[in-house]
Amino acid sequence: MTAVQAAVRGRAARGRGADRGVSFLLLPALIPVLIFSVGPLLYGIYLSFTDARGGRNAVVSFVGLKNFGEVLTDGDFWSSFKIGLIWAVSVTVLQFAAALGLALLLNSDLRLRGLARALAMAPWAMPPIVIGLMWRLVYHPNAGILNATLRDAHVIGHNVDWLNNFGTALPAIIVVGVWTGMPQTTVVLLAGLQGVASELHEAAAVDGAGVWRRFWSITLPQLRPVIIAITSLDFVWNINQFAMVYALTQGGPGGRTRLPMLFAYEEAFRYGFFGYAAALGVAITIVVLVVLGLYLWRQMRENA
Amino acid sequence: MRRRLRSVAAVAAAAVIGLAAGCSGGGSSDSGKPVKLKFLSLAWQKDSLAANKRLVAEWNKENPKIQVQYVQGSWDNVNDQLVTSFEGGDPPDVIHDDSSALAGFASQGYLTDLTKLLPAGLKSDIPQAAWGTATFAGQGGGDQGIYGVPFLQESQVILANKKLLDDAGVKVPTVDAPWTWDQFQQISKKLTSGKRFGVAWALKSPVNRVLNLSLNYGGTFFQTSGGKTTVKVGPQEREVLQRIHDQLYKDKSADPSALGMGTADPLPGFYAGKYAMLPASIYMRQQVIEQAPKNFEWVTIPPLKGQTTQQGEIAQTLSVAADSKHPKEAVKFISWFLNGQHQVELAKGDWLIPTSQTAAKDPSLNTSKDGWDIATASAKSLILAPYLKVDGYDEFKTKVATPALQSYFANKISIDQLAQKLTGDGDKVLARYQH
Repeated sequence: MTAVQAAVRGRAARGRGADRGVSFLLLPALIPVLIFSVGPLLYGIYLSFTDARGGRNAVVSFVGLKNFGEVLTDGDFWSSFKIGLIWAVSVTVLQFAAALGLALLLNSDLRLRGLARALAMAPWAMPPIVIGLMWRLVYHPNAGILNATLRDAHVIGHNVDWLNNFGTALPAIIVVGVWTGMPQTTVVLLAGLQGVASELHEAAAVDGAGVWRRFWSITLPQLRPVIIAITSLDFVWNINQFAMVYALTQGGPGGRTRLPMLFAYEEAFRYGFFGYAAALGVAITIVVLVVLGLYLWRQMRENA
Repeated sequence: MRRRLRSVAAVAAAAVIGLAAGCSGGGSSDSGKPVKLKFLSLAWQKDSLAANKRLVAEWNKENPKIQVQYVQGSWDNVNDQLVTSFEGGDPPDVIHDDSSALAGFASQGYLTDLTKLLPAGLKSDIPQAAWGTATFAGQGGGDQGIYGVPFLQESQVILANKKLLDDAGVKVPTVDAPWTWDQFQQISKKLTSGKRFGVAWALKSPVNRVLNLSLNYGGTFFQTSGGKTTVKVGPQEREVLQRIHDQLYKDKSADPSALGMGTADPLPGFYAGKYAMLPASIYMRQQVIEQAPKNFEWVTIPPLKGQTTQQGEIAQTLSVAADSKHPKEAVKFISWFLNGQHQVELAKGDWLIPTSQTAAKDPSLNTSKDGWDIATASAKSLILAPYLKVDGYDEFKTKVATPALQSYFANKISIDQLAQKLTGDGDKVLARYQH
């Protein structure tokens, strides 16, 4: 055995030992993940292949793909899924537009910039249920501040019941969704903006580019990876939104705001079809992954 | 890392607490420690809350061996909450709910069959018709059993602005000679003038209300043959639907902007004289008394008559969870809690009618003040609501009937389309529950 070989083997052994040490240190972090994330996930996937129903000592049997067959033909679910897509896409797009505006504003040299940045974070500090309750008061037909303001401004003649009207319920909750998700999006975009090198702007300004031109040709392209990341995350987060809409409308009126997650929740906890609800959850996950995959693939390809 | 460690510690702590709870919950009755019962109450009106809490405190003082813990629930989400706690195996011992939820829970085996546990005194004090609202087939379509003690019943009456009635020369009818629907429709037209409507139908949650009232014309909405239940919408079922629709769009005597309102939402408009009459449940009287301006005069108009004055009945109930470790003690508490004298107190607190016959005779529930005599007399019109016996009714209601009725009353679909939706989509839903 040469000295070199010995040194190599020694290093390899030391490396393996270090690995073991690292995985041992990772254990405390891994256990909660396994117990609270992976475990329920696997259990949910298992349930989706069974006929699990509510009932004391109910017997659960394996039914194969039966639940998924029913999901495919469940018109109620797909109309709820359509609502979910309208909701997720419009909230994500509007949120992005509004957040970008806010981020640009906060990135410029304002007076009291620190305070403004802190205030922009306010919605982030609220739990979704509290947001739901607060906005329910804003939209209240008789005592809400929205109706009062619009009436004073003579925009409407009589009180509108925003959350119970077939036409206004979905737009009303979309507004709340945009408001709720803006802080995350703003913070991420703001961080991205601060990463844009000021030399680029200066150089472009020297070349005579105006504000708009600099925004289109420098800021946006530079922000691109950040934009892709935050819009994808927002989309997933929005389509899985549950608590806030549950507090606002519980899916009413007449199912006009019944997002897919609410639909699955009702199947499970209201009607007791646990197996079917799990299948719905799996189906939602698959569709979201496909949509997201297509989006990311296109963006990456354009980027390359 | 620190956060992860903390969550591990939290899990460990939770496990320890769980073990401790498991130990203390187990053989407590032998060891001489008091039996502990959890009582999930849905009381929400101020007087009712006070009455419930007072009774629990009184029981705990008199029965040191059986201690009852009051747990506050809410009608909004009680059934979701119960499903999770039943599945988790730790439900409250004594459960306050209403008869429409019991059929499902009974057939899933979550509730104790009380038939043999109930004391004779309580059984005879509550009439057979009321027991019917809590009698269902057990798990897997087993034998019929009593799965709750019905104690408060609700009937639909009409609250009216006295001054507007007097101005129009309309006389208030009596319980023995009530208005027919025809008369009611004419009077609504008569009371409509300028910006004022004769009536406001608040139909945000229209299903139970319409189904209960449809019994005026014998409309049952469900039929069972060969063990299979299906939805039916025949001429009898269409009567009340069509009449309310006519008031909205033909007579124009009902305010269309009240349609999306929950039951209590039209009250401010009612006080302001925007509508002369408000079809409502009897408990709404309490809200009127609490909120109405001092000089507002109002009367209670007895239930309307179609072919009969019959209305479907849903009762509030107290049940015992099948997983309860102390069913006997729970029944003992329930029968004390719902004796005649206490039912008077609970009925007054919730402004509803007691099922107890002793309680119904109490003078304070028969005065003409605040419409109590009319409310109590309306109990005669209450019959078992047919939908209570339909397994899967809750899903039928939320998925099919609520959107369909809302669209019909918003004049977006015709009555034939409504009938088609109810029977077509409705039968599909009901089929999920029939084996």
